[in-house]
Amino acid sequence: MSMRSQIYAWNSQAGTAWTNTQTGTATSIFIGGVGNNITKPAETTATQFVVIEDVAVSPTAFNVSAEASLGVYYRGLEQGGEVASPNGVYGNRAYIQVRINTTDYFLDPDNVGNDGIPGAASPYPRSTDFQPCFNLYPDVYVLPGQVFDALVTTYQDSAFTGATATVLDNQLSAFMKYTLYDGPDALIANKLLEMGISINPGNVDWYKRTLIQSQTAAPMPTA
Amino acid sequence: MSMRSQVYEWSNLATATNTSTLRRTVNAVPQLVPINREYDIFIGGIGNNITKPAETTATQFIVIEDIACSAYMGGAIQVRINTTDYFQNPDVTDQSGVPGLASPYPRGSSDSTAVDATTDYVQLLKSFDLYPDIYVLPGQVFQILYSCSSVLQGTAATNTVVVAAFVKYTLYDGPDALIANKLLELGVTINPNNVDWYKRTLIEQQQRSRVAAVATNGGSA
Repeated sequence: MSMRSQIYAWNSQAGTAWTNTQTGTATSIFIGGVGNNITKPAETTATQFVVIEDVAVSPTAFNVSAEASLGVYYRGLEQGGEVASPNGVYGNRAYIQVRINTTDYFLDPDNVGNDGIPGAASPYPRSTDFQPCFNLYPDVYVLPGQVFDALVTTYQDSAFTGATATVLDNQLSAFMKYTLYDGPDALIANKLLEMGISINPGNVDWYKRTLIQSQTAAPMPTA
Repeated sequence: MSMRSQVYEWSNLATATNTSTLRRTVNAVPQLVPINREYDIFIGGIGNNITKPAETTATQFIVIEDIACSAYMGGAIQVRINTTDYFQNPDVTDQSGVPGLASPYPRGSSDSTAVDATTDYVQLLKSFDLYPDIYVLPGQVFQILYSCSSVLQGTAATNTVVVAAFVKYTLYDGPDALIANKLLELGVTINPNNVDWYKRTLIEQQQRSRVAAVATNGGSA
């Protein structure tokens, strides 16, 4: 019986490092084989309920192409493709998509799955230089027994210009914040879902109080 | 049946041989956007585009909650529903919409493309909040139009400025779209909380009528 705030932070250069071959390909931050991974796909058991409250990925900045006077860096982000043709995009041009079972959460207006949230809209880490203009509301619910994933896609080749592809240049990171409801709290989360009430710790506590109050108000059984 | 937070990001990046591409491409290069013309970020023929005009089906309802664009080069962003521009001048004439200076994308970006110690000190915050939201009713077409008033050119004629635009909206689908329509009829603001509230009201009504039916039948269901 618990509600626990959880996070998962991913860095592309931990473990097997990200290389240019991954550019343009959606890569799982859990089991994608790049960066820090976990042992199996992220999923909920029959007694768990997950509410994803935030996703974020490395930021991107836009400027002018082939502008030698600008240099290679802008606000700490390195311009990709700098050797051949600098295109004025600084950072990895990264996006993060949430997938539940086999369904992508974020769609284009033509109802085709897209790359997800841009790092320019939901940057990780956040700073005064790179601020969010997106918040994940309504939250994303992962029901008991579902598999969930977060997929990072980048479009800036040669983002890691260092010969050893270290994190010194364009550090590609992603972040997910979620709340894990377990045991009876997961049952309550399901009940709230049926009732059309947003699932958050405050409402789960409210439902518990309601149950306790209804038990207390029930008449005492006669002998 | 769902309410889903959605985003669409556009930039004037495409391949070296095409001014626009479906979805995004690796190693894209910036494309010039002619000045003082409005370009649909969905199907305008510049940058990353989608397959067809953005529209809602009979079972969808969209609430646009935020729009933003690059703050430099006189960038501005307008919303058009069917053929009607949302932002107008007080004399009901056309305007280019919300300036990127008021709603910059990315947040915290500069108002200038010049990058050196003396000019890159501006970290813009938003001074515009899209409230009330913009509703796109079932069956309507909507466009997000980007325009710039300065030529997207760097210090050299061959250098092109990268610009971007962003829209955040919530997509209500199926029964939730019906509820959104009902809320619109009732004059209640459409947001996830109010849709949930309407669902709870329906459930409570059902429960009450069930209890009343039991009472009418003398205690048997």
